[in-house]
Amino acid sequence: MNALEVEHLTKSFGGVRATNDVSFAVPEGSLTALIGPNGAGKTTLFNLVTNLFRRDGGAVRFFGQDLGDRTPSEIAELGLMRTFQTARVFPGMTALENVMAGAHRKLKRGALAQMLWLPGARAEERRLARRAEALLDLVGLSAFRDIAATSLPMGAQKLIEVCRALLAGPRLLLLDEPAAGLNDTETAELSRLLRAIRDGGITILIVEHNMSLVMDSASQVVVLDLGACIATGTPRQILADPRVIEAYLGPAAEVA
Amino acid sequence: MEQFAQIIIGGLLQGSVFAVIALGLSLVFRVTGIINLAQGGFCILGALTLYTLEADYGWPVPLAVLAAVAITTLVGLGLGAASFVPSLQRLPNSSMLMLTAGLMTAIEGLALVVWGSQPYAVPPFSGERPIVLLGLRLPSQGLWIAGAAVLIILSVWYALARTAVGKALLACAENPMAARLMGVDVRRLTLVSFGLTALIGALGGIAVAPIMSFQFDTGRFFTNAGFIAVAIGGMSSLGGAVAGGLFLGVAEQLAAAYVSSLFATAVSLALLLVTLVWRPSGLFAPSRQRRQDVREELRVHRAIVRFKGRGALVGGLVVLALLAVLPAIVDGGTMSSLVIALILFIAVLGLDVLMGYTGQVNLGQSGFMAIGGYTAAILATGYGLPPLLGLVAGIGISLACALVLSMVTLRLRGAYLALATLTFGLLVDSLTVGLGDLTGGPSGLVGIPAFSVAGFAFDTPQSLYYLVLGLALVLVLGLMGGMRSGFGRALQAIRTDQMAAAALGINVVRYKMAAFGICAALGSIAGSLYAFDFHFLAPEMVGTARSFEMIAMLIIGGEGTLVGGLIGALLITLLPTIFQPLAAYKIMAEGLLLVLVFQFMPDGLLGTGMRALSRLPAGGPRPGRLTEQTR
Repeated sequence: MNALEVEHLTKSFGGVRATNDVSFAVPEGSLTALIGPNGAGKTTLFNLVTNLFRRDGGAVRFFGQDLGDRTPSEIAELGLMRTFQTARVFPGMTALENVMAGAHRKLKRGALAQMLWLPGARAEERRLARRAEALLDLVGLSAFRDIAATSLPMGAQKLIEVCRALLAGPRLLLLDEPAAGLNDTETAELSRLLRAIRDGGITILIVEHNMSLVMDSASQVVVLDLGACIATGTPRQILADPRVIEAYLGPAAEVA
Repeated sequence: MEQFAQIIIGGLLQGSVFAVIALGLSLVFRVTGIINLAQGGFCILGALTLYTLEADYGWPVPLAVLAAVAITTLVGLGLGAASFVPSLQRLPNSSMLMLTAGLMTAIEGLALVVWGSQPYAVPPFSGERPIVLLGLRLPSQGLWIAGAAVLIILSVWYALARTAVGKALLACAENPMAARLMGVDVRRLTLVSFGLTALIGALGGIAVAPIMSFQFDTGRFFTNAGFIAVAIGGMSSLGGAVAGGLFLGVAEQLAAAYVSSLFATAVSLALLLVTLVWRPSGLFAPSRQRRQDVREELRVHRAIVRFKGRGALVGGLVVLALLAVLPAIVDGGTMSSLVIALILFIAVLGLDVLMGYTGQVNLGQSGFMAIGGYTAAILATGYGLPPLLGLVAGIGISLACALVLSMVTLRLRGAYLALATLTFGLLVDSLTVGLGDLTGGPSGLVGIPAFSVAGFAFDTPQSLYYLVLGLALVLVLGLMGGMRSGFGRALQAIRTDQMAAAALGINVVRYKMAAFGICAALGSIAGSLYAFDFHFLAPEMVGTARSFEMIAMLIIGGEGTLVGGLIGALLITLLPTIFQPLAAYKIMAEGLLLVLVFQFMPDGLLGTGMRALSRLPAGGPRPGRLTEQTR
């Protein structure tokens, strides 16, 4: 079964075709990388899948279910989580609280139970805090659990955002350039996290420029250029594809 | 027909004053993105200074006018340089709005100290005799008003469109960062626009002074009218501001003539609500689309205040014990002030959930207090229903109003949301005055019984004190539980980033409504208790000034702390009681305190204090040493 099916997706801004008849599928359990030169329409594609932008044509199916006109929060409710290109941790909350915020849709006890300090609600909070801590530990941030998330370096914020999305219990995780702005240590932590996610059986669609990260971990690569899908295959196939080389480096004649 | 023409001309005259004020608001809004609620203060400052110079010192009118305008402009420049401009870079927009509300209160307080609370009237500039034109009788002052308005509008237009300073101002409005990079001194220009708006306000206030009576707090009326006019016309368009002002003036005069003068305000407010819902960007301005996936606000945020562990528990118990023994040691006057402070604290708690945690501005909390107060009072006096039932009924009606209001305001943000809630407060205000048969009108409702439950009456200040203290304790504990778990995290996520919150599956609409409902319910409870405490309720006890006072309490104590509001409520309620001779300075102190807290301790007294305490031990790890620590 496919976790995500994108079919003939089209979107224009004014006269610019930002996304032009794009079709591809993300098989369940895969780690699919979405690559392409700057301005290829990768982030736009994420915004279309999560209905932040209204699409002009085409369809998106999530585990066979048409996403239609669902609101972003309804889509998240189905188990499709995303991160943003610029880390969007919540200011005014600590690192730990930020990660815990991700579990929102998984909470069983309502606001009233929480206000009455019912034992069940408090126990649920404690369990959640432990899970969030474990995740922070995995990315090496547990020492900063009680520090304002916005005061941490950008790399740490991006890792927190991934942890947050992960705690939401996604069936499919969309990551928008998680390694951008990360130093080598942090990138290593991220790739450890990605492997852990994949081993946990969660499907990942990742936009990434860091090629070694992509080639090491992706099972499938989709290449976008100028809003159109130009190639799909394994990392090895993609590296050898002349169209991909042309998109990145220009026509062969010019290179020579 | 002649009468109709007379009404239209009256409306245009009134409207031209609104247009001038709206123009000032629009000018500052274009440059800074902030609605300057202190605008009306400059009108009243100009008019009162004119009165003093003319009546007390006998200056000739032209000289007095020039001096009054100059003095007001200097005051405006001073306030701008000392507080508005330096705060711009440090405070989020919603706090800036509150800061200007604080400036407004401070100006009102200053006027109260200097001129007292009696109304003033300035003689018309060119005699009382009306001018007859084409068979229509016009007050001669009308020509001065129209002349001043046209002069101001034309010169502002010319300055913006034709001079270098004007172009630099527009550049600031479009993109402050780019303007700064191009060598435009944004701070100086912001100050210029703030001074300019003081000058415009003074001119408007002075021109209209002879045809209305005014006192220290008439400025609110000007600000409200200008705010409404600018919203109807479109906030960032100067032409829209002028058109909106004229439109509002004519509409109010027509409503007063053909409906009822009692409901003229209600009509204009209803007009505004319709505009906000139907075309939020204004009737006369092109609507602009914003990208949704880009963060709107600058990255300015409050620090985090958290109470954790044994220290907080001990501190809380000590404060509680102190509050419990207070009635034994204070005198009667202080006792009743304590009761009032605690009652207001309950309404402030609600505000904290909505503003401090969810980030939604509410300038109309007194509206919910009025609904709770009048519902309980009317049911108790008119129908003899038990007070508890009245209190519950008040909560029900408040929740219903909150539901409607939050559905209406769902799409609104920032200044527009502030305006919509302010409008709600003013609407309730004008209804409590207008529906005299039900509410007793301006003179109020008397003979409200004491609060009682199952036959036990809380008819002494002591008993009521313990009742309200217990209620406040229960509410604080409950809200603390809510704010420390999933519910509170969802609200705080919405406060700063609605889009990211929605991407986590948080239903932004539902949570905003819940926060609004909590805020309304607590406001309503406070209103009911307030009425039962005083045995009397009049519109100004739960008027818009009260909304601003409660916001001051919240900010001074500390937003997002729940208990901080208690410090603010005690401070603002008790200080004038303890220092009786200084009571006249209360309003000014309230405004100044609000402004100073915003500028120098944006976390409030409690937040700043807690942070100072938590800094004493060496503290946890600091960011920046991330990699070393984790290796």
